[in-house]
Amino acid sequence: MSGIYYQVSASPHVRNRLSTGRVMLDVIISLIPAACAGVINYGTRALAVILLSVGTAVLSEAAFDLIAKKGMTVKDGSAVVTGLLLALCLSPSVPWFIPVLGSVFAIIFVKSFFGGLGRNFMNPALAARCFLLISFSGIMTNYSMSDAVSSATPLASLLEDRAVNLTSMFLGSASGVIGSSILALLIGGVYLIAARAISWEIPVSFLLVFALFIGLFGGHWSDPSFVLAHLMGGGTVLGALFMATDPVTSPVTSVGMLIYGAAAGLLTGLFRVFATAADSTSYAIIIANLLTPLLDEFIIPKPFGFREQERDPDKESRPFTAKLLKPAVNLLLITAIAGIGLAAAFNVTKDTIAEQELKKKLQSYSSVLPGAETFEIDENSAALIESMQGSVYGTDFGRAYINEVAVGKDAAGGTAGYVISVTSADGYDGRITLSLGVDTEGVTQGIEFTELNETAGMGMRCDEPGFKDQFRGVDVERFTLNKAGGSTADDEIDSVSGASVSSGAVVNAVNAALDFLHKNIG
Amino acid sequence: MARKSFRGGVHPADRKELTRDAAPEIYLPKNQMIYPLNQHIGKPSVPVVTRGDRVLAGQLIAETSAFVSANIVSACSGTVKAVDRHRTIGGLFVDSVIIENDGLYEQAEGIGEKADYHAMTSEEILRKIMDAGIIGMGGAGFPTHVKLSPKNPGDIRFVIANGAECEPYITCDDHLMRSCAAEIVAGIDILLNLFENAEGVIVIENNKPEAIAAMKKAAAAYTRIRVLEAPVKYPQGGERSCISLVAGIDYKISQLPADVGCIVDNVGTIYAIYKAVCESTPLMERRVTITGDAVARPCNLITRIGVSCGELLEYAGGWKDGKQAVKMLAGGPMMGIAFDSLDVPIQKNNNALTFLTRDEVAESEKSATNCIRCGRCGSVCPVGLVPQLMAAAVEKKDFERFEKKLYGMECISCGCCTFICPAKRPLTQEFKAAKAEVMAIRRAEKEKEAARS
Repeated sequence: MSGIYYQVSASPHVRNRLSTGRVMLDVIISLIPAACAGVINYGTRALAVILLSVGTAVLSEAAFDLIAKKGMTVKDGSAVVTGLLLALCLSPSVPWFIPVLGSVFAIIFVKSFFGGLGRNFMNPALAARCFLLISFSGIMTNYSMSDAVSSATPLASLLEDRAVNLTSMFLGSASGVIGSSILALLIGGVYLIAARAISWEIPVSFLLVFALFIGLFGGHWSDPSFVLAHLMGGGTVLGALFMATDPVTSPVTSVGMLIYGAAAGLLTGLFRVFATAADSTSYAIIIANLLTPLLDEFIIPKPFGFREQERDPDKESRPFTAKLLKPAVNLLLITAIAGIGLAAAFNVTKDTIAEQELKKKLQSYSSVLPGAETFEIDENSAALIESMQGSVYGTDFGRAYINEVAVGKDAAGGTAGYVISVTSADGYDGRITLSLGVDTEGVTQGIEFTELNETAGMGMRCDEPGFKDQFRGVDVERFTLNKAGGSTADDEIDSVSGASVSSGAVVNAVNAALDFLHKNIG
Repeated sequence: MARKSFRGGVHPADRKELTRDAAPEIYLPKNQMIYPLNQHIGKPSVPVVTRGDRVLAGQLIAETSAFVSANIVSACSGTVKAVDRHRTIGGLFVDSVIIENDGLYEQAEGIGEKADYHAMTSEEILRKIMDAGIIGMGGAGFPTHVKLSPKNPGDIRFVIANGAECEPYITCDDHLMRSCAAEIVAGIDILLNLFENAEGVIVIENNKPEAIAAMKKAAAAYTRIRVLEAPVKYPQGGERSCISLVAGIDYKISQLPADVGCIVDNVGTIYAIYKAVCESTPLMERRVTITGDAVARPCNLITRIGVSCGELLEYAGGWKDGKQAVKMLAGGPMMGIAFDSLDVPIQKNNNALTFLTRDEVAESEKSATNCIRCGRCGSVCPVGLVPQLMAAAVEKKDFERFEKKLYGMECISCGCCTFICPAKRPLTQEFKAAKAEVMAIRRAEKEKEAARS
């Protein structure tokens, strides 16, 4: 004998070729159609976001590997998956630091700090998206490309009861995140299931429960295209096929997966219909992620020998559909019960909410046009507004929408002036809606906010008299924003310091209102 | 009722082409022969010879010492050199009878006498099987006469002859079925005499067409025996897989096949039963596949139990191109035992020696990652366990959860989960250790209990 030792280990002594790297490669392959569709639809901007996101993710993991001296785990390819997933749920118009910051957060804070691959308790890409949504709400929900005329996403239109183009949603040419082509996502999803990288339970129960919920409580139960539009919008498919199915953060057992998928679908529907957050799918999946350890703790199938011992052996070969029936019925029941409860709560409070809103509106109208006793809707303007079908007003005011024009009548019944309600979608944290009062001479009487969700201490300071009063008692065509402050001219508005985005949106909204008034009322 | 297949399972590369066409050769060992006293499940046998005794081939050298134990006979003639500890495949030094082989193969009296089993009572048949020292030859090594003595023989519905041979590389059962079909079928008929309500079913994976044809031909003469072709899937040859396939029954690890009306015996064991009962020949001989990419001439041997592995390797031409194997396995790569010295004897239950130039285990360790929770381990587990969660429990040393919640003790160590794992986690290995741990805890509790009362 040559004296060389023999290797000894416990059986088995052979291994399948499949490696973690190969599993990750399958996920990457499955995401390529969606990434390509994003680049085709949104151009090189999308490509830049994808490259930045993936590059930063890989570099972050490599850097952490070096610092933590854990060996180069970056080789397994999971950082590429995270970077790619994050990019696909970003708007193509985000500035460069968004994918960079997001990838660093995903890899370092969500993944590496919890022990790296397989140890994170939330999907890193989704957690990063949620982090960015909370920190940079305005940027994250701005889907306008530099030259796009309309930039409202299909989902935003849908939520405001406006028509959407299902074909462009399916192909991904509507405005939205980079990975919004349903066709490309479905191709990738089928590949994933065929490659056994994900199992069918999660996407099926997710989408089924979500569709049921939207159908039952979305308010358009008789319209299948409404449900379809909800399914295709808001990242639902991206979430159901690629985010919720992340094996690390979803349950291991088949029943666990069905419950988890149903929970994610239910929460998505719930947030979509009843909440006002900028995103529903991401938050729903993140919360469902938290259920995973619980489901894995308690939902454990019995081994085969414990399942069928007492059962009549002839009954064993139940058809597949029959086996599916029970969980399906259970899911339906859970959805129905949760939905009915919510709908009931919503209905009870709905009228009060509407009353409150009307009261708030009238109060704001009165305060911006003190000379008026009563208000009537201006019929001509109403028809005009209707004909605009909810599109952006003008080309000069950012994303401004005219909501309503009311005629203020004085005690004698004569016209005292006009109040215009206008919304800008360019606020730092979403929409800003305000009422502007103008008297019959064309002199502004002031503004009042009916919707303002800006950053406290910054954008919220638009609501202070020091800012609002600048819009009172002036007769101009339009205002300009002076970011430096210290204005002397009537048509110059001093920006709230540190909140030029919010201030700019207010000025744009007021200008849109003035423009509408001058063109249509005179 | 019968299923198309058991659930779960994997498809490792079968590598049977190395020896599929290697017709069995008879090899009579020339060197000393070694008989470890614990080569079966149960109590070790007690030697009945001492140093210097002259023994004949087929002579009893160690006898059964308990209900679950087995006889051992010498497979050669010669002189007892020692009764001493010797290295075994399992790596331990075990009390063994060591015989200096004189190469004459002089047989003990009465061997080869023909007998008609139809004229025998069940007790006589079982006695012959016990005297012959027959144990499960497929790998487990459970004493056959014990297995054939269930509480209620009338409750046995199936006698399953296991010729699945699902383990990669190995072809000795394939060749046995091809050349000795009549003897195997007669062996099954002997068992059917013990179990009057049973049906004989021969399970063969459908990648062995010659064996299937031969067995079908031989079984045609018997109304109570049929051949069942099984899909190729590891571990089809597992006792539970066979029962799942034939009877459509799953059972707990705490149950025996007989508890669910089944007796499962490897075809090699059944052949040995035939030889013992009808030809008065105790268990001296067995078939061994010598295979693997490190061996010069992969072959199938009909050889004598007790021969050293080194001698068989030498007969098979030694190392291919003079390059020593990196890993040596007794059995196949899925459940075989890795051993590190050629100076160990072939035991009754060793069906193959596999010599490999690569150690995939060491190689896979390099690409191991954290568990990615993909769930493949659960989908291939033939028992229906969730290995991913079991591994997580073991990692936390939560043996309570491993045993009670996750049914960890039901694991049959088939290796499917480890084989399939993309993260290259040593799951089966962890479970083996955890099961040993649970057994130790149980023992400690029992002792505590005993001390108290």
